[in-house]
Amino acid sequence: MADVLFEIGIMFAAIAGVGALADRLGQSVIPFYIISGMLLGQFVLGRLSLPMLGTVYVSESEFIAVGAELGIVFLLFFLGLEFNLGRLLARRRQIGTAGTIDLANFGVGLVLGWFVFGALIPAVLLAGIVYISSSAVITKSLLDLGWIANDEAEPLLGTLVYEDLFIAIYLAVTSALVLGGDDVGAAVADVGIAIGFILVLLAAVQFGTPLFDRLVATDNPEFIALRSIAAVVLVAGTALALGVSEAVAAFFVGMAFAPTDYTHDIETLLEPVRDTFAAVFFFWIGLVTDPLLFGGVAALIALAVLVTTPTKLVTGFFAGRAFDLDTKRSTRVALGMTTRGEFSLIIATVAVTGAEAGTFDPALAQTINAFAVGYVLVMAILGTTLMQYSGPFESVAVSWVDRSADDDPVVGD
Amino acid sequence: MAGCALLDMTIRESDLPGVGKKFEIDLDDGEMVVVIHNTGKREVFRRPDPSADSEKVFEFSDDLARTIGSIIEGAYFQPVEPDTQETTLPGGILLEWYEIHPGSPLIGETIESADIGNRTGLAVVAIQRDDKVVDSPSANTTLREGDTVIGVGTPENCAAFEEILTG
Repeated sequence: MADVLFEIGIMFAAIAGVGALADRLGQSVIPFYIISGMLLGQFVLGRLSLPMLGTVYVSESEFIAVGAELGIVFLLFFLGLEFNLGRLLARRRQIGTAGTIDLANFGVGLVLGWFVFGALIPAVLLAGIVYISSSAVITKSLLDLGWIANDEAEPLLGTLVYEDLFIAIYLAVTSALVLGGDDVGAAVADVGIAIGFILVLLAAVQFGTPLFDRLVATDNPEFIALRSIAAVVLVAGTALALGVSEAVAAFFVGMAFAPTDYTHDIETLLEPVRDTFAAVFFFWIGLVTDPLLFGGVAALIALAVLVTTPTKLVTGFFAGRAFDLDTKRSTRVALGMTTRGEFSLIIATVAVTGAEAGTFDPALAQTINAFAVGYVLVMAILGTTLMQYSGPFESVAVSWVDRSADDDPVVGD
Repeated sequence: MAGCALLDMTIRESDLPGVGKKFEIDLDDGEMVVVIHNTGKREVFRRPDPSADSEKVFEFSDDLARTIGSIIEGAYFQPVEPDTQETTLPGGILLEWYEIHPGSPLIGETIESADIGNRTGLAVVAIQRDDKVVDSPSANTTLREGDTVIGVGTPENCAAFEEILTG
């Protein structure tokens, strides 16, 4: 007990320390949390023999594993809380166009995954990992750079909303496929159960809002916090026990709370809770990733970076165009969308969970996880840096695109 | 995006999922952009023309923004109404008025029983009740819901009175 508490203390101290460092460097905290977990875990610190202390490292204790799980649950819960179908529908033409163009990245990922793994499920996982951009990192960069007040914020955030909806359905289906094993008949049945589960949750969202509203209708902030945590963790836990995605369940619970009068209170109260457990999640990802495995997936990471950076740039640019932005601002949308982060890692944990449940090849799960971690480390830093130093790219794009537009009046605006 | 025209101003409102809301206000020389975060933080940006980048002018916490907002609104000082200019008397003495809202502990009390003089130092010079004015109210004038109490005192006296007014 004392050992575990000490390890947790080390973990939080490390997270707090590298978080401050990342902030000073103007970088996203996510890669730093991951690397701190990796360095303090069994695969780096655990391989060293320290003078006097011998072999000590932060172990993957049950607390950290469950904390990471809660991180996923709260990240998706907030996504649901922020998700507003009315808002999406009000701008459906623009968000629909931008989001559908963005889906090309999923297609490219699928081809790439099939080319590398030669099997459907790993290809679908890889496609998801390279498709989804990072809401957390992009939103933070928008705030840091002051772009939030500019027109480029809308296509960026709008496309992210589209991706969030896609990923909720995607997670439900892939979890069912991965946890269902190899049998095609069983897989079909599992996907059926997953879709049925989504329908039940949608019904709960549709008709359950008065119930959720009454649940948190109190002036006592402590009770609002406890009751909303109870609702989301209980539903997510029930989902996982039934073999369906806890993340998706959390997303829908968030959606059910969204129309209540208490959304703002819940957000204010639970934001620190989400940030704490999300940090544990990133630390845990680092903890369970053996950096030696990077050697084996380095070529794949390089390939994915080389293929999916340009594809995101192109789709992002056209997403900006779908919102009638000029070349400069569309370029910013393109640069911002290249950032991948938390959701790519959540998709990788589907494989890890499958391996633990014995329905997915453990070696393959390790490969996919190492790939996702390496890929996110590169893409989170690359995306943040591209946004920070967007100036030269904007100039190049403006002179390039606008000149060719002058040559060809059909493309011009 | 929703647009609304208030007087002859154009204010465009749009959602920033995960962040909050954005309001764009046309000015004579450019645009002002106000971002209200879900956390309550306000950021005010300016841009010289619609295609320019927004430059942050200032940032306020929720409380500060509300206070500054009400100052700008003219809650404390409205230069167009000459009679309110006289609220600050020479020497920093304030002439202030307070409405007694439902639930105030002062309802039913007299000026004496509430011990306003000793507890706050505020001198009650008049009470406005409906359309009538009770001037130089005596110590046993009973305060009623809806009364407007007009008092003279230092800013500390006024603050102390505000405290016993709301309980």
